[in-house]
Amino acid sequence: MKKLSVVVAGTGQIRDVEIESGTTAGDILAQLNLADYLLSKGPNEPFFANAESVYDKVKDGEKIFASTKAEVGITVCA
Amino acid sequence: MRVKELGTRPAPNAIRELFSQVVRGHAPSISVLRREIPYWRERGWTRNGNNYTGSYQTAYAAFQGQIQERWSSIDFFLYSPSRQIRSHSHWTCFAPRGDDWYLVHMARRPKDVSSGIITIERLITEAYEQ
Repeated sequence: MKKLSVVVAGTGQIRDVEIESGTTAGDILAQLNLADYLLSKGPNEPFFANAESVYDKVKDGEKIFASTKAEVGITVCA
Repeated sequence: MRVKELGTRPAPNAIRELFSQVVRGHAPSISVLRREIPYWRERGWTRNGNNYTGSYQTAYAAFQGQIQERWSSIDFFLYSPSRQIRSHSHWTCFAPRGDDWYLVHMARRPKDVSSGIITIERLITEAYEQ
């Protein structure tokens, strides 16, 4: 088991979770009722895919971010 | 072997502190409270009504920014984009607004200011890593 602190970027609220091996980003977001969010280790790190296992990619006690889905672009360049 | 005593002097503070801790035991631990603040504030942005000012910060560069939060949308502005940003595939999503300010179009709009800042910081990082 690993402990994680999920920071909801918009509010700064911190949600503590404990995950088992094989837990995906989608599992965490669903558990926290953050369906429209994406998880990442920070702005310089890629988002975790929903089906991606988070367990092996985080350290025990690490802080990760949950931010709402957004993409720079317009119709012609998105 | 003969020993010649040259005199005495006080032990260094670090050693005295170490010995005093052994005698006293450890001081009680202090719980440090976590700050629960939005990302925009953590990154040093300031808010004045519905307007935010600050900078988009990455490991490569930081750019002055402004954000206007409206009831239906949030507009993100970036000042004086660098050559790397101008070379990025999403440069066409930067609309000039005069005085070297650019509006950053969002194909998928973030629901909060912090998520938008993270998105733009990620784009800046991409621009420097491409």
